[in-house]
Amino acid sequence: MAAPAIQLHALSHRYDTDPVLRDIDLTIEHGEIFGFLGHNGAGKTTAINILTTLIAPTSGSAQVCGHDVVRQRGEVTACIGYLPAEVRMYGHLTAAENLAFFATLSGVPHPRRAAAETLAYLECADLANLRVSTFSSGMRQRIGIAQAIVHRPQVLFLDEPTTGLDPFGVRQLRETILQLNADLGMTVFMNTHLLGEVSKVCTTIGVLNHGELIYKDSIEETTRRFPDEASLEDIYVRMGSDSA
Amino acid sequence: MIGTIATHQLVALRRQRVFAALLASFVLVSALAGLLGWSSNHTISRVYDEAAKLMVATGQPPPPNPFLLKPALSLLSNMVVYVPLIGALFAVVLGHLSVVEDEASGLGRLLFSRHITRTQYAMGKVTSAAVALVIALGASMGVSALSLLVVNHALAVSDVARLGLFYALSWLYLMSFVLIGIIAVLVTHRRSLALLSAMGAWLVLTFVVPQFTSGLRPTQSLNPIIEPIGTSQRFFQITAHGQPFSVVEQYKATAAVILNTAPAEATGQLALRLLPVAALAAILLLITLKLVQRHDFSRSASNE
Repeated sequence: MAAPAIQLHALSHRYDTDPVLRDIDLTIEHGEIFGFLGHNGAGKTTAINILTTLIAPTSGSAQVCGHDVVRQRGEVTACIGYLPAEVRMYGHLTAAENLAFFATLSGVPHPRRAAAETLAYLECADLANLRVSTFSSGMRQRIGIAQAIVHRPQVLFLDEPTTGLDPFGVRQLRETILQLNADLGMTVFMNTHLLGEVSKVCTTIGVLNHGELIYKDSIEETTRRFPDEASLEDIYVRMGSDSA
Repeated sequence: MIGTIATHQLVALRRQRVFAALLASFVLVSALAGLLGWSSNHTISRVYDEAAKLMVATGQPPPPNPFLLKPALSLLSNMVVYVPLIGALFAVVLGHLSVVEDEASGLGRLLFSRHITRTQYAMGKVTSAAVALVIALGASMGVSALSLLVVNHALAVSDVARLGLFYALSWLYLMSFVLIGIIAVLVTHRRSLALLSAMGAWLVLTFVVPQFTSGLRPTQSLNPIIEPIGTSQRFFQITAHGQPFSVVEQYKATAAVILNTAPAEATGQLALRLLPVAALAAILLLITLKLVQRHDFSRSASNE
């Protein structure tokens, strides 16, 4: 049986003496679009930093595609794509050059071709030869997604991907996530505040509150479990007040 | 992987106006050094020619032209001053530009979610800066060689070799400042603070340390004087012993030996004087590698 896309076991992390994540157990299967919800400072970005091998957890374990994020860093980085919040690409380089660089770092055999194919897939081939410093937020975000998928990862991590986007950009991003999941079978792990987007895109949600995972279930099961609440936002607020 | 990062960084550097402007100004001062050398040669030679004519007319044998007694490379003696001043500033900015974008724009997070090690990253960045420095110093050497050709109408092979050695020494010296520029970004996390602190380090190494060692005479910072200055004041007697640690003075003294403008007795001390310059670069490289290993790139987005 194939290992889950993401598996956390008793995962904890602290910055100096401040605990940020506490004993998190979580399993995300291949093909899921997982929405990781939580207030500012809840520990969502720290979780992504651990899963993308940027930092090592204080205790517990985390596996991506069956590989340990600390002991098998190379295998993990080969199967993940990552788009941090508000990231900028190399402004003096064109979109194609940026993508080719990240493709090379990921060991893609033909980086330039992969860059061109990825831009075409995301319907932004016209941006290929333009310098990224001239791009709007929406265009930068599309190039950001392009760099995250240029090596066709199995798991895509998105940290607050809608930050700075206008409603059109948000809708475009949502369609892209669904397209990546449907066409390429990518598992998506998404940190977000926008509950409206979560209900439209995600198959499963997890709620993090002060470093503890207080809830995880599918969207359908969640709406069934909270029949009195009108929207996901109401459910989220109720979870927060219940756990406080 | 080191080559990929280095090549990528060189392409990015090539397109940055700051880098282009600094490169142009460095090449310009090289031309200026040559022009000043040519100008003093030309002026003194004209005065000499007039004086020689008068002496011949009065039946006296004219002394030889003083410029013919000086080594050919002495025309470039100003470069020994320009490298620690403008060259080192250029190197600090070069080091800063090499890593600041990764730090301030959060690109470090993207890079280290890929299959690269921190050592590969650090070595790639240092390699790109080292190559950029070779390009800048190569252009400067070309201008210097041209200046010498114009003035002397010929350039001996030994002079070309000495010129090459001088630029190799300058490269080694400037690499320390490239590494200071990189270290400042890794330590401070902030774009402006990083540049300011690197400039501060440049000021201390170039002006403050020499003042505490043998910079009691203002001309010392311009003209390399080999022996420590004798003084009756105990404080300055003690600090004068720190001269081996004053890297800028060691650079100037070594450069003077290479350019053949130093006193004959200084020639034997070449290796000894080169040691602090090489040691500083090696120590700073080790510090850079250590800092990159320990640096938290997950927090690399503190762009003010």
